[in-house]
Amino acid sequence: MKSIQIFEPAMCCATGVCGPGVNPELIRITGAVGNLQRQGYPINRYNLANDPAVFAETKTIHDLLESKGMEVLPATFVDGQLVKEGTYPTNQDLAKWTSVPLDELSKKPQFRITLNVNN
Amino acid sequence: MTHLFHPQNMDLTPFLFFTGKGGVGKTSIACATATALADKGEKVLLISTDPASNLQDVFGIHLTMAYKEIAEVPNLFVSNLDPEAAAADYREKIVGPYRGKLPEVAVKQMEEQLSGSCTVEIAAFNTFSSMLTDQSITQTFDHVIFDTAPTGHTLRLLQLPTAWSGFFKTNTHGTSCLGPLAGLSDKKKQYEETVQALADRKRTTLMLVTRPDISALSEAARASKELRNIGIENQYLLVNGRMKEFSKADSLASAFIKREQQALAHLPIELKNIPAFDLFLAPFNMTGVMNIRRLFSTENSSEAVQTSHTDQNKIVQYPKLNVVIDQLLKQKQRVIFTMGKGGVGKTTIARRIAVGLAAHGNKVHVTTTDPAGHLDELISGENGNITVSQIDPKKEVERYRLEVINQSKDQLDSEGLAYLEEDLRSPCTEEIAVFRAFADVVERADDEIVVIDTAPSGHTLLLLDAAEAYHREIAHTAGEIPASVRNLLPRLRNSDQTAVIIVTLAETTPVFESERLATDLKRAGITPKWWVVNQSLAAAKTIHPVLQVRAANEHAWIERVAIDSEDHMAVVPWHE
Repeated sequence: MKSIQIFEPAMCCATGVCGPGVNPELIRITGAVGNLQRQGYPINRYNLANDPAVFAETKTIHDLLESKGMEVLPATFVDGQLVKEGTYPTNQDLAKWTSVPLDELSKKPQFRITLNVNN
Repeated sequence: MTHLFHPQNMDLTPFLFFTGKGGVGKTSIACATATALADKGEKVLLISTDPASNLQDVFGIHLTMAYKEIAEVPNLFVSNLDPEAAAADYREKIVGPYRGKLPEVAVKQMEEQLSGSCTVEIAAFNTFSSMLTDQSITQTFDHVIFDTAPTGHTLRLLQLPTAWSGFFKTNTHGTSCLGPLAGLSDKKKQYEETVQALADRKRTTLMLVTRPDISALSEAARASKELRNIGIENQYLLVNGRMKEFSKADSLASAFIKREQQALAHLPIELKNIPAFDLFLAPFNMTGVMNIRRLFSTENSSEAVQTSHTDQNKIVQYPKLNVVIDQLLKQKQRVIFTMGKGGVGKTTIARRIAVGLAAHGNKVHVTTTDPAGHLDELISGENGNITVSQIDPKKEVERYRLEVINQSKDQLDSEGLAYLEEDLRSPCTEEIAVFRAFADVVERADDEIVVIDTAPSGHTLLLLDAAEAYHREIAHTAGEIPASVRNLLPRLRNSDQTAVIIVTLAETTPVFESERLATDLKRAGITPKWWVVNQSLAAAKTIHPVLQVRAANEHAWIERVAIDSEDHMAVVPWHE
């Protein structure tokens, strides 16, 4: 299994719900990472506000911030290699890296009954 | 039948909390109690938890978070719990170790993230909590006396230990959404101990300070009930500012006494079984150690006052409130705030302005941001053009939670949703929910005039600080920011759109607090437009010696407000 690390900007919390606006991307990534972790997959998120020590101890992210600035966050590493910067990995990305089927990463599709009353 | 309050003769617990509606005399009584105990030889620490503390006005010295011994009162140490300073200390504790270890830009972003209102609240709360649990404090002092902010703010402070311990207990995904508290993961035990200390009747007494009037009593009743719910059961009721019967011919004094008797005859049920004590209205302002000592001394009676004779003929004509209303109509500001110390009558002034503006055919929305606000006081005098609302933190949190969950439920499965719901239970969510409700109500000014009756100064300043912090955060947030939040601060800073009215009384502490408030507002880019001196006795005719002295003392303060406001001032007389 490949290990995945996502380094994020300083935030109050993983879902961002205590910031000035709710970011749907954070909600999505929270769900996907949660699902992978529950399957025992080695994937971790590090938020600068809560985990500064990891940023200080991980040379790759430290150097990246030093050279390119804060815009590189969120930055994703797979087995220590930088694979994505500035945006979160998509669910497709995660499915590819982990070989976990896409539909297990996000909400399982539900049946919807749509009544079209106009026609 | 009640008794006079003589703390020096009572067997008091180590922790004493003085709470109540703004303006009821919490600070005066807390200072007098602290001094009386220190004079008896006990070692006393007096702390204000009000972000707009008045302790420095009483003792006439500059105060910080560091305890300062009062020269005239050996054994009495005093400090202000300044939330911003506590937040700065806390921030440095977390960020400090990473200076030099992380790139400078990263350190700067950490600092910014830790400047939000939740950090400020947590840091203040954390300092407060350590006062109750830190052995170096509990062993050094016989009494730690808390002079608290007006009810709404204080209820939150006292309920937080329970909220955070509860959140720790039920939180299953570890560090998430502790928000800025993540730096305090070792504090769980401290918060549990805080909850225990507050609920221990051998250690903690809640002094519910009230005036003999209906709104102060109903606020005391609410505080009593809510704090009993979190286990603070050892409570006393202190009825401050009672009047001695003087002459039936004096209509003003008779009105005071009548109001008292009516209020006390209808004592709220929550207060009926609480030991109650009386304090009489003092003819002097509670500043300086000499006056503080007079409050509980037996010679303090109105008869002993040699009326420093007042010139009752000197009735100066001051501008009236309709001057303010006329100017608001002319200048057409659509967001109008009443701000000021607790108990100065912000709600009354907000209502009168709303009624005045509505009378000219304007649609007016009146709202209060005070969690302990009284909506019923806003409603009376309503006409067809006026609507009313209140920002109730509990309801706003619920609304915000529902909104976020509805927005997100299509993206998350049940486990993801459970996780999100847990984050939303973080006490920090209240900050953002209240703030967004505030932004929404200001946004109503697009369609109507919005009159906002604010909570007492301290609470309001924190709300405005939040506006600034969130405004900065917007710049680097990818989330969906509602237009109301984006527009908030620019609108408040635009004096063509927003008018802030500072309401005060012609007395020492309300004027001092108003002046500090004005300075803080200007620093945030908001300049108060009007000052209103409310409940003025100066214009009223009275022969009651206590009221006479108080009336005569007002003129100097009104003059001072005239200067502070650059003559943008109105005086509203006390009326029955």
